[in-house]
Amino acid sequence: MGSWRYVFLAYGIVWGAIVLYFITLKRRLHRAERELAQLRAGEEIRIDGQN
Amino acid sequence: MENMAPPRRRRRGILAGLTLIFIVIGLYWGLIVAPPDAYQGEAQRIMYLHIPSILTAYLSFFLVFVGSCLYLWKREKRDDNLAHSAAEIGVVLTALTIVEGAIWGRPTWGVWWTWDARLTLTAVLLLIFIGYLMLRSLVEEESRAASSAAILGIIGFLDIPLIHMSVYWWRTLHQPPSILRPDKAPWETIHPALLTALAINFVAFLLLFFYLLSLRLRVGELTEEIKTRRMNRGA
Repeated sequence: MGSWRYVFLAYGIVWGAIVLYFITLKRRLHRAERELAQLRAGEEIRIDGQN
Repeated sequence: MENMAPPRRRRRGILAGLTLIFIVIGLYWGLIVAPPDAYQGEAQRIMYLHIPSILTAYLSFFLVFVGSCLYLWKREKRDDNLAHSAAEIGVVLTALTIVEGAIWGRPTWGVWWTWDARLTLTAVLLLIFIGYLMLRSLVEEESRAASSAAILGIIGFLDIPLIHMSVYWWRTLHQPPSILRPDKAPWETIHPALLTALAINFVAFLLLFFYLLSLRLRVGELTEEIKTRRMNRGA
């Protein structure tokens, strides 16, 4: 096995961290999209109410 | 800033697909096809992560530098968003580079960490940009946070030439650069079989960087639009 364990440790940490960061970014993006959609819907209701 | 235009989403989808393909090929080439190094054995395969991640981190901080300069000049939020987004990804990549380096250092140098000039300056780079991100979240007034962060981003970028030259200026444990050498081309210093694996992994990291950057930029744009709409609602 020798130094293979260091190779697997490095690859595991790096790709694990990148996947984790990617998931976090995707969640932030979805949250922002949802929040914006809600704000837009609220604005439309207000405009309809004024009319 | 209406709903994201479909072509933009399609382009991002193509980029994601290409990134995934290159990551898989890079892993296959780096772990299976490329031969072990004559001196370092299998541990040298960490190089296929280490060099691409630090070069991509340098690119991130270069974009922070460009975005920061443009923001200080023109005061456009788009440039600030570029700097902020690139800084976040740069911090992730630099932290990973330090971790990979430590894991590589153990079997080759016998230590996880040493206060070598290049290692220390890279840790300083990471700390500067962690400070950059903290500054942005701690200072409440948005334009002040952006201006202060832009100045710090420019100063932080100046650490990169120091990191690069540190192996020439000081006696260090870290080897001199194999890729960005002023006197020799990469193919003169690295065996073609190893260089191919490195090149594929570098392309994979570049694609990954641009994909993550496109996602992070979009988060920034949407956050900005949410703030603007909330302000208009309050007015």
